[in-house]
Amino acid sequence: MLREEFRVHASYSGQTMFVSFPFIITMFSLSIAVTSGRLFAYTPLPDAILLLHVSVFLYGLSVGAFGFLGRQYLERTTGMRNYLVAMPGILPMRFRRTFLGMFLRDAIFYMVLLLVPATVGLVLSVPVTHFRLTSIGLLFGTALLSFLLGMSLSFFVSTVYMRSRAGFVVAVAVVSAIFATAGAARVIPFSWILPSLAAHELLPPLGSDLGAAASLALFGLGIVAALITGAAILVPERFEPPTVRARNELPRIIARLGRLEGYSALLGKEFVDLQRSGTYAKMFFSFVTPLLLLSFTAWFVRYGLQVPVGFNTVFYAGMVGFFGVILYNWMNNVDATDYLATVPVSVPQVIRTKLIAFLLMTTWIGVGFVVMIAWLNADTRLLWLAIPIVLVTSLYIVVMTAYLTGLRTNSFLFDPGVLARFSVMSMLPDFGLTILSFTIDRDLRLSAIGIGLVLAILGAITYILLKGIDEKWRGTEFGE
Amino acid sequence: MSQVLNNAARVVGRVPAIHASQLTKRYGTVDALKGVDLAVEPGECFGLFGPNGAGKTTMLRILTGQLRPTSGEAHVLNVDVVREPLQVKSLVGIVPEVESPPSYLTAHEYLYFVGRVRKLDRLEERIAHWFEFFDLDEGGTTLCKDLSKGTRQKLMLAAAFIHEPALVFLDEPFINLDPIYQRKLKDFLAKYVAGGGTAFMASHLLDIAGKLCHRAAVIQSGSIIATGTVDQIRAGDADLESAFLRLVGA
Repeated sequence: MLREEFRVHASYSGQTMFVSFPFIITMFSLSIAVTSGRLFAYTPLPDAILLLHVSVFLYGLSVGAFGFLGRQYLERTTGMRNYLVAMPGILPMRFRRTFLGMFLRDAIFYMVLLLVPATVGLVLSVPVTHFRLTSIGLLFGTALLSFLLGMSLSFFVSTVYMRSRAGFVVAVAVVSAIFATAGAARVIPFSWILPSLAAHELLPPLGSDLGAAASLALFGLGIVAALITGAAILVPERFEPPTVRARNELPRIIARLGRLEGYSALLGKEFVDLQRSGTYAKMFFSFVTPLLLLSFTAWFVRYGLQVPVGFNTVFYAGMVGFFGVILYNWMNNVDATDYLATVPVSVPQVIRTKLIAFLLMTTWIGVGFVVMIAWLNADTRLLWLAIPIVLVTSLYIVVMTAYLTGLRTNSFLFDPGVLARFSVMSMLPDFGLTILSFTIDRDLRLSAIGIGLVLAILGAITYILLKGIDEKWRGTEFGE
Repeated sequence: MSQVLNNAARVVGRVPAIHASQLTKRYGTVDALKGVDLAVEPGECFGLFGPNGAGKTTMLRILTGQLRPTSGEAHVLNVDVVREPLQVKSLVGIVPEVESPPSYLTAHEYLYFVGRVRKLDRLEERIAHWFEFFDLDEGGTTLCKDLSKGTRQKLMLAAAFIHEPALVFLDEPFINLDPIYQRKLKDFLAKYVAGGGTAFMASHLLDIAGKLCHRAAVIQSGSIIATGTVDQIRAGDADLESAFLRLVGA
């Protein structure tokens, strides 16, 4: 399974490029470590460690949803590809064992891909930073535990989904309530729900209670074991997805899209796919969750860490726009596209169809969120500036992602070359808009001119990239 | 079928339906095709036989504009497959090796989708015809992901023929079909070719293919090792299977 995962990733970018991904992470970690002196001046070490554990936990949460992923592989056609997870159907293997294998595979794969290189970066910084190797080791150990907690929780909740939708909703509600209690309401500290963080806080340089830290770490490992065991029990041994029947809605939908001549058939199919695959719900949650996290982070920085930063509606508008990449990624994960190779349709045509679908479906979500957050923060005075920002940045980020990754966003973002370009092209305007948003209260006119300039540049780049999609992806075939 | 003849006459004229010259395809260090030359005349059923991994699917994917050759050139219905792959796909019908219709459409919706992409008239009439021909009623409201392999294969066949193409490329078209529909498809293909259509078929089912095809080629390790009429390929052997085994040295 590890070999399969490696080959799947390497098949998109080439082995050398893929192997260089951890190297880039090492360099990134090294540069952060070398400049950590300044970082700690603004964010004290305990806060930095808190943010690190929460981030790693969320990372684990994002890679552990095998219940969803495995089900997807088993249910839908995967064109010319097949995966080991589907093998229990024809080999004397058990689904339970296979899903556990997937958990172990991803725990090892993503640890080696990110956590280990990040730790190596810290070790390499020792001659400059004089970090203690034991502290780095403890950081790695506890961060790994946070990662495993996130993965196992995600694994458990996703297998609950395989058994019962109602049970899934209850599980998500309970987990959300616990985190809301810790995060938003600050009723309990995060260390109460992340034993790994609690253990880290008792270890040098923050503390020195080795015995209590070891107990907490063991407790955390116990939770991981319990969640994995629970998930394994919930994995159904006989996987027989129910036969789904549907009304023939496509002709009606295509007729409605008649004005978009040349795209109506593809677009109609896109909408039907998104609806029947349940991707609308996934898109909604995966868009709203980071937005809520962003709101929480902004709140936490301002009120929790007491850092006097003015997060206004314009700031949120910029951020919301950049989350569009998540939606575009989901749109590329609905179904295999191999069958399109048999009809007179090109890859650029399908990419443009997805962009139109994105515009038609999601623009209102971004605008709606910005209006809502402005209203909640009593900051509607800047909506006239915020709405153009969310529209232009959404369009820019999605067109840029489409240009760089085509129909395989998730995979190509593991290509270091593509990731580097994506990072530069997304971070630079994002930083620019963020900084300009912070200057609004000092000089609104100057900020508005600056923002207008950034939006004009983004608009121009969007136009160029949109035109370039045809040239870049013309020679690519479906399923490649 | 008269429409097929008209299409063929209009598009092909007197040039070969398929013409490939020195086609090569390299995957890393592996040569999947090594300078293949091929010509298929209009109104001909041409078989491409070969062991697993010989290059049949690669050849078929290049000829249908799904894959770019490393070198060489190919024309299908007088259209350059490298320069105008979409034009090729709009003219021909393709049944791929793996039957993978879209998971979340019903069989009816898939045929409707293909018909709209191909800008076909009388679409409901055409869909009704193929539903009846392949007895696809099961797929009327069932999503493709839940259809049996055989029904999915029938659906891919219907999608390939729905626009009455002058030329079809068939990669293992009989696989997954039961004997009743193998016979039905065989009879249909015979009529299609008799009516002026051209078929290019890669298959391991030598018995069926041998009866259907006028000419054939045997490909091994990316090279054509024998070509000619089926009788010429048989060359005195009792049947096509024996000849095939002799040619590939098995």
